[in-house]
Amino acid sequence: MAKVMLGGKEVEVDEDGFIQEPDLWDQNVAIDLAKTEGVQDMGEKHWKLVNYIREYYQKFGIAPMVRKLCKDCDLKLKEIYEMFPSGPAKGACKVAGLPKPTGCV
Amino acid sequence: MKKNKLTLKDMSTASGQLVELKQEEFMKLPNPYDTPEAQPPLKSLSDEVREKFECDLDGFMAIKIIRPKSREEEERLVNKFLDGLRKLLSKENNWTFFMPLMLSLEYCAKCQTCSDACPIYVSSGKNEVYRPTFRSEALRSIVDKYIRKKGSLYLKMTGNEIELNWKMVARLAELAYRCTLCRRCAQTCPIGVDNGLITHELRKLFSQELGIAPEEIHAKGSVQHLQKGSSTGMIKQAFADTLEFLEDDIEEKIGRRITMPIDKKGAEILLIHNAGEYLSWPENPSAFAIIFDAAGVDYTLSSEIVGYDAVNYGLWYDDFQLARVALKHAQIAKDLGVKKIVVGECGHAHKAISVIADRILIGDLNIPRESCIPILEDIVVNEKIKLDPRKNNFPVTLHDPCNMVRLMGIVEPQRRILRKIAPRFREMEPHGVENYCCGGGSGFAIMPSLNFPDWRSGVSARMKFKQILDAFQDVIDPSIKKMVCAPCSNCKGAIRDLLAYYNAWEKTGIAYTGLVEFIVNAMVDVKEPYIEWPEF
Repeated sequence: MAKVMLGGKEVEVDEDGFIQEPDLWDQNVAIDLAKTEGVQDMGEKHWKLVNYIREYYQKFGIAPMVRKLCKDCDLKLKEIYEMFPSGPAKGACKVAGLPKPTGCV
Repeated sequence: MKKNKLTLKDMSTASGQLVELKQEEFMKLPNPYDTPEAQPPLKSLSDEVREKFECDLDGFMAIKIIRPKSREEEERLVNKFLDGLRKLLSKENNWTFFMPLMLSLEYCAKCQTCSDACPIYVSSGKNEVYRPTFRSEALRSIVDKYIRKKGSLYLKMTGNEIELNWKMVARLAELAYRCTLCRRCAQTCPIGVDNGLITHELRKLFSQELGIAPEEIHAKGSVQHLQKGSSTGMIKQAFADTLEFLEDDIEEKIGRRITMPIDKKGAEILLIHNAGEYLSWPENPSAFAIIFDAAGVDYTLSSEIVGYDAVNYGLWYDDFQLARVALKHAQIAKDLGVKKIVVGECGHAHKAISVIADRILIGDLNIPRESCIPILEDIVVNEKIKLDPRKNNFPVTLHDPCNMVRLMGIVEPQRRILRKIAPRFREMEPHGVENYCCGGGSGFAIMPSLNFPDWRSGVSARMKFKQILDAFQDVIDPSIKKMVCAPCSNCKGAIRDLLAYYNAWEKTGIAYTGLVEFIVNAMVDVKEPYIEWPEF
């Protein structure tokens, strides 16, 4: 674990860059996390996806299933990969401030 | 770094990284990956990571052991290792695997028949550190010198005069995670020595005595499974939400609403899926629901915590965790009053609950446990649902999960299914009990941190990739879409990452899915294709 500056504050991240204190997440943190994922510009679609993931996580404690994510955000998986090159789990969820996915996913 | 031939002594004496992997020495892959340019590079660990963690084996890291700060700390850990080793070697403390461990430690004739059977050793270009007997010999040497206190003449003659220090212990910990426990070595050994078991016992020692295990399989794995209900972190409410979504999704796909039965008392079968399926491959549990509904199977799912996740990661590294999860699974089945537990498409869960847990489940907890595969075979082969094989008219090959074939002998049922419904099914070679691991066995598929996935796709899954490519050489053109059938969540995860690592969909048109998906895809009553191909 290491402390890094994200969105103007010190946040602990794991070795793969996932934040460890989900409560510290805000939009500015997300913008900086996106940069670590090679996403320079968070557009409207990016936010829609990230906010959806965030809300689901706050309700259920995990990331939404990819199928549900695509359906509810009206996105194809391909489009998610275009927006977040590492994909929904390693890219979009990281930007949404979720911890690294666990289990056989 | 060791330049000359590696010896056991180097484990305790060499400074820095013990071996360096050279991609040009790796086993060659078939077309279109037969050039050096087609090999994705292996990522190196950063200096920061190297400084902080023990990674002096091969430059890759499966467990994150923080480097001890002092000599005293190192000594304390070495002594704990010895304590743990004594426990492994005593009947009272290791009643689960004491006898096979003793036999495997005693009787290796060092004939090396096992080496060529090991996909990791062969794929790496026969790197000595991955030789199946190298790890076992290291442990044997420690036992001879420090537990059995053999004299120095004996140790010299056997070449086993090694030093037990922290370097040795830290490297052994990592080395215990360079074997997928596929046990192909044990199968080929003329006298049944089981190097996979020795690796497993080493992992156990590290977890149970030193608290050292990859966080993905322990802290975020079996611990989370027991606390939250699933190693995925899926809590009960999330499971309910997921099933609701799947029922809607099925209706949309097949035009008919199917209820997924939950907590139905007295059902014949308790069906438990690997919960990773719900999140990453929901079409798999959905396909089970469609098939079981059509065939009139009396079953239920459980919404109890642990009851909706079939995984049992303890199988790979810790007997206590294994027992805790297995007991919970059995208790849930007992409370529901089902006749048997049926495990979905998850190899290690098959082995954990059906075979290994048998000695833990006593009295009325010893409820019959079965694989889903023969039940599916009965439905397909005896035509309990209407199927049209022409709907699966694309090349298909079958991956055999080690735990199903080699460990449990479930070989023919999945083939009889595919022969019936996939006209262009072809075997990969070798297959059945001779199969090769997907490369993600024993937890590797779910360990995505730092550069370990590169090692997995580049080395431990290399043989599987070769087999897949070989099976499809006659149709390797990417315009011909083809499928690998992998009836196991872990195998699917490893194969997914493997295909992505080599950009295989674009280059060769190879995709993957489970087994039940083929059945639903062939169902006459399901009008639209059920199998989905990658979009890019």
